[in-house]
Amino acid sequence: MKKRILLVFMLVILSVFVFANGAKEEPAASTETVQSSFQVTEWEIPFLNCLTGPIASIGEYLEWGAERAAWEINQAGGINGVPVKVTGIDTAMSPETGTVEMAKLAKNALVVMGPVPEPVILAAVPIAVRAGLYSFTATTSYEYAAKFFPWAISWFSPTEEKLPPVVTAWAKKNPDMKNVVQFVENYGAWPGMAKAHEIGLEKAGVTVLNQVDVPSDAVTFGPLVVKALSQNPDGIVFAANAEKVAKLILELQSRGWEDNSKLLVFSSADDGALYTTGGDNLNGVMIYNYVDPDLDTQRWKEFRAAFKADHDGMEPFSLSPNYYDAVYMIKRAIEETGITGDPAMLKEERIKIRDYCNNIQNFEGLMFNWSNKDGVPQDKPLFLFKIENGKKVLVEKVVPSNK
Amino acid sequence: MSLPLYYFLAITAVYILMTWALYLPYRVAHLHFIVVANMAISGYFGGYAAINWNWPFLLILAVGLILGAVVAFIVSIAIGDAPTFAVVIVGFTFIYITKTVIENWEALGSTMGMFGIPMVNHVLLVAYLFVLVTGFFIYRFDNSRLGRAASAIFVNRELATSFGVNTKHLGMFLQTWAGAIGGATGVLYAFIMNSLFPDFFTFHIIGITMTMLFLGGYTTMWGPLLAAPVLWGLPLLLPQEVASWKMIIYGVLLIVILLVRPEGAITRQVAARVRSIVLRR
Amino acid sequence: MEIFIAQIINGISLGSIYVLLVTGFNLLLLVAMIIHFSFPIVVVLSMYVSWIVLGLTGNNIFLGVIAGIVSAILINIITAPMFQHIMKKRGDVDINSTMVLSMGIGMIITDFLSHSVNSGFPIAFPDNLTGRNLGAFFQIGMISISRGDMISLSMGIVFVLGLFWILYKTRAGRAFRAIAEDPAGAKLVGIPILKTGLQSYAMTGVLGGVSAVSIAILLGSASPGLGDQLGHKVLAVSIIAGLGNLKGGLIIGILLGILEALVQGYWSGTWSNSIAFVVMLLAILIKPKGIFGIKL
Repeated sequence: MKKRILLVFMLVILSVFVFANGAKEEPAASTETVQSSFQVTEWEIPFLNCLTGPIASIGEYLEWGAERAAWEINQAGGINGVPVKVTGIDTAMSPETGTVEMAKLAKNALVVMGPVPEPVILAAVPIAVRAGLYSFTATTSYEYAAKFFPWAISWFSPTEEKLPPVVTAWAKKNPDMKNVVQFVENYGAWPGMAKAHEIGLEKAGVTVLNQVDVPSDAVTFGPLVVKALSQNPDGIVFAANAEKVAKLILELQSRGWEDNSKLLVFSSADDGALYTTGGDNLNGVMIYNYVDPDLDTQRWKEFRAAFKADHDGMEPFSLSPNYYDAVYMIKRAIEETGITGDPAMLKEERIKIRDYCNNIQNFEGLMFNWSNKDGVPQDKPLFLFKIENGKKVLVEKVVPSNK
Repeated sequence: MSLPLYYFLAITAVYILMTWALYLPYRVAHLHFIVVANMAISGYFGGYAAINWNWPFLLILAVGLILGAVVAFIVSIAIGDAPTFAVVIVGFTFIYITKTVIENWEALGSTMGMFGIPMVNHVLLVAYLFVLVTGFFIYRFDNSRLGRAASAIFVNRELATSFGVNTKHLGMFLQTWAGAIGGATGVLYAFIMNSLFPDFFTFHIIGITMTMLFLGGYTTMWGPLLAAPVLWGLPLLLPQEVASWKMIIYGVLLIVILLVRPEGAITRQVAARVRSIVLRR
Repeated sequence: MEIFIAQIINGISLGSIYVLLVTGFNLLLLVAMIIHFSFPIVVVLSMYVSWIVLGLTGNNIFLGVIAGIVSAILINIITAPMFQHIMKKRGDVDINSTMVLSMGIGMIITDFLSHSVNSGFPIAFPDNLTGRNLGAFFQIGMISISRGDMISLSMGIVFVLGLFWILYKTRAGRAFRAIAEDPAGAKLVGIPILKTGLQSYAMTGVLGGVSAVSIAILLGSASPGLGDQLGHKVLAVSIIAGLGNLKGGLIIGILLGILEALVQGYWSGTWSNSIAFVVMLLAILIKPKGIFGIKL
């Protein structure tokens, strides 16, 4: 009797994997070049994003940027006269969901934006690479995107090239600063960014003291701050998540730290949590990032006003322009390379987009123009700011050289 | 087969196996979270061996399974018949230690994660073969004298002991077995995803597999088999606005089922009824 | 020496958070036989309620504090019947399924907070609650105790002592304990089960609310993930000390805080969790029923 139960069980499982054995990635459409008479009715750009979970709000800001670009493009007549639509797809922080969602796109999508969180990038982008689908991982650091070249684009140059100059610039603003300690949280690319900060400090002739590791689930910060202060630093760099950075700064101040200009916060901590947690206590603190909120161009002013209108007066998030720019870059690639959207030409048109974007010249980004070389941006600037009443005031623009 | 279905089935296999890895020690009322650490240890080992030593997949799978079993066995010497809470704490401890070691180990990709684990053919086939074999053995176990002894321990440990059940040996056996499943599943996961990230092997996977175990039913092996594809697949089918409340939906389902059907969807009675229907045919 | 003392004080400050949460956790265990794994998450929810009311009332501290406490009582009274229902079905205490139920409640609260409050960003409490603007209560070099620390610590101590007194020195307290230990027997000797049960839930709710306010003062902010971060350690502390052992929880909670502060201060922050858990693991292996013994 039991054997029959087992038999049924085995049959069910067997049928799954007999079925599964045929699991072969279906090749994308034919490679032959033919003149297409196909007329696309809508350009759909799928965007694998993190719309739920702990960084859902950031996902929403990114989505907003992409949709804003699509809206502007459609107002101006679309891409080659055809409307564009950005379709947000939620992967949350889950690599597993990311793989399934990317797999759904592998067969038919012309191009894909995202994924956003690093664990999802690691799991899902290899599927796109194998399918010959180009992905815009526009929020992660170079080191993640580089693994997937030429099928992924990097929005940033290598960390050890891009970050040191801005840290050096900060150190030079404080010539009396001789010993700097760094708080580092062990997550994703952050330890690598901390290393790049050290290079910048050493270039400025500053001694780097023993790093203080920030536990990812720290709730109080007294022990870490005492450890840092016991080395008698005269400057501090923060490479941890926004909330923790704010709390570290509050704790430092409660133990007598006065000169906020000698505190430097890294770009990944520049989000709402820093300001909601730190409040006015952040006045005078320095922070670097890739976006200048006070840029004086019409396009940026409109973007900023629209973002504020949709977000209760909040300033645009520093990564908001990334997917806005990505949509425009896709538009330019489609228009310049004569992409038709014909499913029969999918494979070659995917390659056309890839090759065009990887080496795009003088791209008109929301904030500044830049060019790519083999998927890496060449002359993107960084900005050093001082925080005043929850706002960033530009102190210096730094353009690292890609050598 | 389409690519999305391929990934759906592959990850379903991972969830079924991990839920069974929780199910086995829970037969003697142990919530044995160390299986998540086993998964991480063997998964990372597998990734490293594939990338750096070019070991073949099946060899890695076998070594990963043994590695999981060995780690779990050593630990089980101390906690084979420990109170549930000691077992829970051991699980937490191993998860924290494993994660910290991985995050500080450059060769394993540290916090950046491990990239480029090679694609191999027939991972899905092997995964479901492993599900089949594991399911076969669990079925045999559940219907054996040992399985009944485990049920006795679940209901009343002292009474079971007085009837001559060796609670420690049975506990050690189940923990080691679960560790082996955890280890092998780690290797399968590494080769399905082709990458690993330290944050995956933490409490998020405990939350999901516990929900699968308790919703599906923890008194028979069929509960996880049903709950894994449903709970993991449903949010993929739901519209975006609903799917974004996935964790809340899981939480509500978990509470409702505990209140209405404390033993989960598939209880022993349901299993028996299905069995009689199958046998009558 | 100065640094060492400073780190010990930091450790006590962290430990006091564990103590507040472990005491509430143990109390639920004592009066209701509930393993409320997610009790810290419920406390974080009360912190959020308090924050919302502070925002609505222009930072009215009195109303903010009351809101925190009332919400904790309400959550407790709403969720209590679910726990009771599960246990009644078993006829015996089923520690595992109350723990899983608690996990379900935790999942819902955490996801709700990260979805729907303040765009998921952390919330910061105003200076007039945290006392940040008042400066340090005591400071020599790096040794520093803030006024906020002092206020929340004294509030915590008063309430915890008060609870001990109610539980062990009053008739009502004896009734609470009697119901938990033997509901049928308690009924036989004429203790009104429903009324007393509700009172005991309300009492643990009060402690939850006070903990919420104290932690708000101590930390100055909260985030959706805060309860999860604390949950594992609170459970561990309670087990190491001996489940339901209030005094044990107090001592082990403080010791864990000090241990973490010393590891973070003298070795590495990334290892502090692992080391804390290894030490607790050793303790549990040596004394499986907790260092101070189970008191149920």
